[in-house]
Amino acid sequence: MIRAIAAVVLSATVLAGQAAPFAPARLSDGKTPDFRGIWQARGNAHENIEGRIVVDPPDGKIPYKPEALARRQQNYRNRATADPSLKCFQAGVPRATYVPMPLQILQSPGNFAIVYQENHAFRVFHPEGRPHFDATDWWMGDTRYRWQFDTLIADVVAMTDLAWLDQAGNFHSTEFHVVEKYRLTSANTLEYEARMEDPMVYTRPWTLRTTLYRVTQPGARIIEDECLEDANGVRHHISPSDPRNLLKADYSRWKKPQP
Amino acid sequence: MRRALFVVALCALAAGSRFLFLSAQSPAGESTSLPRLPDGHPDLQGLWLKSAGGFQGLFIGSLDGTNFAAPGGGGRGGRAGGRAGGGPPPPPRYEYTPEAEAERQDRLKRGYEDPEARCHLPGVPRALDQPGGLYPVQIIQDDKYVALLHEAMHDVRIIPTDNSPHPKNYWAWDGDSRGRWEGDVFVVDVSNFNGRTWLDMAGNFVDENEHVVERFRLLDRETIQYEATVTDPTVFVKPIEFRFTLKRVPSEQQILEYSCLEGERSLQHYTNEDGGKKQRAK
Repeated sequence: MIRAIAAVVLSATVLAGQAAPFAPARLSDGKTPDFRGIWQARGNAHENIEGRIVVDPPDGKIPYKPEALARRQQNYRNRATADPSLKCFQAGVPRATYVPMPLQILQSPGNFAIVYQENHAFRVFHPEGRPHFDATDWWMGDTRYRWQFDTLIADVVAMTDLAWLDQAGNFHSTEFHVVEKYRLTSANTLEYEARMEDPMVYTRPWTLRTTLYRVTQPGARIIEDECLEDANGVRHHISPSDPRNLLKADYSRWKKPQP
Repeated sequence: MRRALFVVALCALAAGSRFLFLSAQSPAGESTSLPRLPDGHPDLQGLWLKSAGGFQGLFIGSLDGTNFAAPGGGGRGGRAGGRAGGGPPPPPRYEYTPEAEAERQDRLKRGYEDPEARCHLPGVPRALDQPGGLYPVQIIQDDKYVALLHEAMHDVRIIPTDNSPHPKNYWAWDGDSRGRWEGDVFVVDVSNFNGRTWLDMAGNFVDENEHVVERFRLLDRETIQYEATVTDPTVFVKPIEFRFTLKRVPSEQQILEYSCLEGERSLQHYTNEDGGKKQRAK
């Protein structure tokens, strides 16, 4: 029945003169679209989403309430120290999707999860049907999803107001509600759309859209992203290939205790 | 039949005899009842929680081994099983090399600085050997990897099963994991540690020469037997064996988000001295 409807929709689309949607590969169940792989956004939307990936409103501006806009400006002025991502907090939704680091989609029939390299955040997507677990606020929220033909639609709530949307200080409150859509547009491109609403901060819902590109280099994988404190107690991201990350490179413990 | 076998396995565990335990697993045909993926390997997927075994109960105390955790409060994952009145078991004492023992003694003077209390990744096998019953792990698996998503420290290990080698010039808190199937047992070789992690809350530490071999064995739909052998020739005189069971979490429960780095205030509570405070003093 569903397949019949899909066929009708397909024909209607073709008849309307548009290109037929990309038909993704399937998981071992023969049904579920296969989104597995390592993906990464390009461009510089992580610096400021306004005017870059905000597609609605058409002017590319987030429709802030006046007092919220004032706070955004304050965030912007303090961004060099106030950005929570600098302190190795998890990036939140949707920011984790377009930070300049890859993510990996893990999937099997009935399971869907995204692992974000930045701060080793992850989200386990739970099927719709049970209510949100929203008794508290999280960095990565609580996610329920469903498939609409070959598009994954995720409903995300319960997010902390400490998270930012980009390096420019765009923000939301705990009333934040995101509806995400993930759709393969070719074998190596995944379209990501997020519709945001937050009656405390915005005058109307707004939408951003960006493309994730498959990381195709052989052997590419998500690597560990961890932070170390410097001498002043400030945390910095450090690469697993940075010799400073290796204990014996900087630690005094194998030396004889000082007299 | 499965229940009978499980009872036998439990008895073997109680007897502490690895040989007896393994031989109880050998009856041919039993393994065919395990849930499997299309590639034929046992299906480890689901949400799992350490239920019994492991060296580590909740440890609140000093590095000399005193455990101040309230009797019956915590320690459910400890060797003694947190029996009423008994309190949590004392932390294990391993045999250190002379150099490492000197370092351990030096730490006793320097104070308590558990890297996990500073929100760092726990390493292996501590990622799984969390205080009993606290943090589950979600496993997602396909023909190319087995992924462990730990609630604790939102730690992630995506373990490839493609026979690829460990990388060079890569040193991580969780090391680098490469998996393979030996029959129905998922075996993980973990190397490339950065050497900063502890094995438990009691200050047993490793260095960058740590090497771990883990074994995940699905006993039945509800149970994974986990074993890990930790070798670190510059720290320990002989290999250390970990063994505990993971039980499936009922499907109405879900993994939650663990958040850290928000101003750890409990470091000083881990010790009866002022080590924690001293470390945090501005």
